[in-house]
Amino acid sequence: MSTDTPARPDTRATSVPRAKPHRRLRATFPIYLAISPFYVLFAIFGLFPIVFSIVLSFTDWDGMGEMSFVGLAQYQYLLTDTRFWNAVGNTFIIWFLSTIPMLFLAMVIAFLLHQNIRFTGFYRVAFFLPNVTSMVAMAIVFGSVFSDTFGLINSALTALGLDTVPWLSSSWGIKITIAVMVIWRFTGYNAIIYLAGLQSIPTDLYDAAKVDGANMVQVFFRITVPMLRPIILFTVIMSTIGGLSLFTEPQVLLGDSGGAGEAGMTIVLYQYNQAFTEFDFGYGSAIAWALFLIAAIFSIINWRLVSGRSERTPRRRTAAKEARR
Amino acid sequence: MSMEFSPRSARPDPPRARPTRRSLMASTGVLPLLLAGCGADPRVSEDPQELAMWYWNRGASPQLIEQLAEQIPGTDKHLLADMIGTTFDTKLRTSLAGNAYIPDITYINSNNALYFTNEDLFLDLSELGADSVKEDYYEWKWNLGMTPKGRFCFFPVDIGPTGFFYRQDLFEEVGLPSSPEDVAAATSTWEDWIALGAELKSATGSFFVNDAQSIYLAVLDSSPERYFDKNDAPLYLQPNSTVRHAWNLAVAAIEAGITARIPQELETDRNAAWSSGLTAGNLGAAWSTQILEESAPGTAGKWRIASQPVRAGNNGGAFIALPYTCKDPEAAMRLITWITSPENQAVAYEDVQLFPSTPESFEQLTYEGDFYGDQDPLEFFSTAAKTVPTSFISALETSISGAFSRELLNVETGGKDPELAWSHTLAQAEKVLAKRGVEV
Repeated sequence: MSTDTPARPDTRATSVPRAKPHRRLRATFPIYLAISPFYVLFAIFGLFPIVFSIVLSFTDWDGMGEMSFVGLAQYQYLLTDTRFWNAVGNTFIIWFLSTIPMLFLAMVIAFLLHQNIRFTGFYRVAFFLPNVTSMVAMAIVFGSVFSDTFGLINSALTALGLDTVPWLSSSWGIKITIAVMVIWRFTGYNAIIYLAGLQSIPTDLYDAAKVDGANMVQVFFRITVPMLRPIILFTVIMSTIGGLSLFTEPQVLLGDSGGAGEAGMTIVLYQYNQAFTEFDFGYGSAIAWALFLIAAIFSIINWRLVSGRSERTPRRRTAAKEARR
Repeated sequence: MSMEFSPRSARPDPPRARPTRRSLMASTGVLPLLLAGCGADPRVSEDPQELAMWYWNRGASPQLIEQLAEQIPGTDKHLLADMIGTTFDTKLRTSLAGNAYIPDITYINSNNALYFTNEDLFLDLSELGADSVKEDYYEWKWNLGMTPKGRFCFFPVDIGPTGFFYRQDLFEEVGLPSSPEDVAAATSTWEDWIALGAELKSATGSFFVNDAQSIYLAVLDSSPERYFDKNDAPLYLQPNSTVRHAWNLAVAAIEAGITARIPQELETDRNAAWSSGLTAGNLGAAWSTQILEESAPGTAGKWRIASQPVRAGNNGGAFIALPYTCKDPEAAMRLITWITSPENQAVAYEDVQLFPSTPESFEQLTYEGDFYGDQDPLEFFSTAAKTVPTSFISALETSISGAFSRELLNVETGGKDPELAWSHTLAQAEKVLAKRGVEV
């Protein structure tokens, strides 16, 4: 009896819905099958490496010999590794130097492209072109333009009677050069995104502003920028992620070493260095996870900063205040 | 890097079992996890008549590989040569770690010491009769193929004997010794060499070399002693070690103002310095004859090569190794001795400028061109190669050598105090070694 009683409601409870999932599965199977390629590929090329890199970060492994478990030793080393913290500092300085002028320029370009000017199509393509240019070719051009001794910029500075700047061998020179490369490459890309956002702003707002006698600058700051807030948030977060994972520009410009004083050594370049030139996969993985943490924190901060002034939050706050009263 | 030559296209594709799925999995490293112990063949090709070989662009002569694809001389096998693009080491290590898609024969670059800790993954070529041709090769190069345990796993391909390239016309103009013999005689020690550089700098304004790192490496690469001994005991900590000596000379050259402060990574600047005469010299290996020709074509005929102070060193040069999974070590050994024979190394030099590791090859070779005036760089470097000392490169070297070049660069371009930089270097090296489980 004592065994029968609990068994009965069990079978009754499960027997009814059990038939349903079967039927449902058969009906939905083709749909799951249709979307499965993404998940299968993601599991192999995305999920597995991510999970494996967590495992790796707790080991000491040279990529071919035996893996030995070392616990938190890699993370401990990371905390005291001056080269890593130098890379973190570099990454943020370069990100700061590049993102702010880049997004501002992109916004201005998008605003101008949105006006009724001639050859808009040509300009759109022209501004987007840097984004699809070969990075290696670009590095050669930038290397020549910013070259310490033979560069165009230093020649111009000399012609103007100014001192030359060691762009490629001083700490700030290297960072500015990389920032300029980033700006050059991504301004057009962001401008196209802003342009798409601009086109979704209703024209009656502009017409109303015109009727009220607003000038172009007022229109830009009072209508365009506020209406573009979600798009701006998107580009800020994308540039944060892109800026924190900066790799190609310093690598092609300065090589794996990051230049003099490792001034161009970014977090990802350092990670690449440890994992693929020094074959220290454990430490490389630990750096990757440290970067993940930093990127997560900054995405949250960004989100707060850019969307924090939205109307919902203050309203909720006053509501809470009133409730307290 | 590019795949302009594909030896595979010469023959019909070999039969393979479901290559797409396997390659897909192997490339992510899933294969070893899923198929561990399932009896999957860990080789690139399952065809018993076919030996698979990995090499890189310009790492071997396409002409010779085409012949091997037909038949490996002295055997009934043929070669499947795969040109692996960049990150060669990563790919080779991945296949060895995953125990899948391992080639039967593989090229390994001058960083072969990286594989010492896993030397069991490679066959001892002495056991396959490699020693019978030992006399044909430069002895020091042969010894570089020996592991710390004394196994001969890495067979010599090419070498990179070093010398001092200089602009004869600029030297001559200001009355400095200008013929290769006179320059070599005037710079028998590194101190004399730096002094000559200082004279050139004050007379012409031209730098002697592009960076201090090249001096550091030239001294280190020409010394029988390096960072570690065969038991991985650190030598660089001793007060009169070669590493410290090389460091001191590089610092002295920086202080004498004879380096142009152009790190070698900045190729555009480096090339411009050579072609404009800003830099009138270069400490380089045999393979840099071509680099110089290509980067400074306007200065053709003005360059000469003199013996560097003390003795020549070696910088670069590849090896061939047989992974333990090699399906026919005897045939593979025949391939190795065939492709690196004195005659075929001469062919490889003419084809892709691999500087031969067999002195005999030079009897068949003549240098075409007048970039070095009436001087024959082939003759120069083949003679220089005879003076290269036998040395030992430790597996630990790559983890710490970066610290030395980084700090040297800080002294050169950042004006860092040399003693401070040296102590930072040692601290950094100690830290990295401690992480790798080596106490110094």
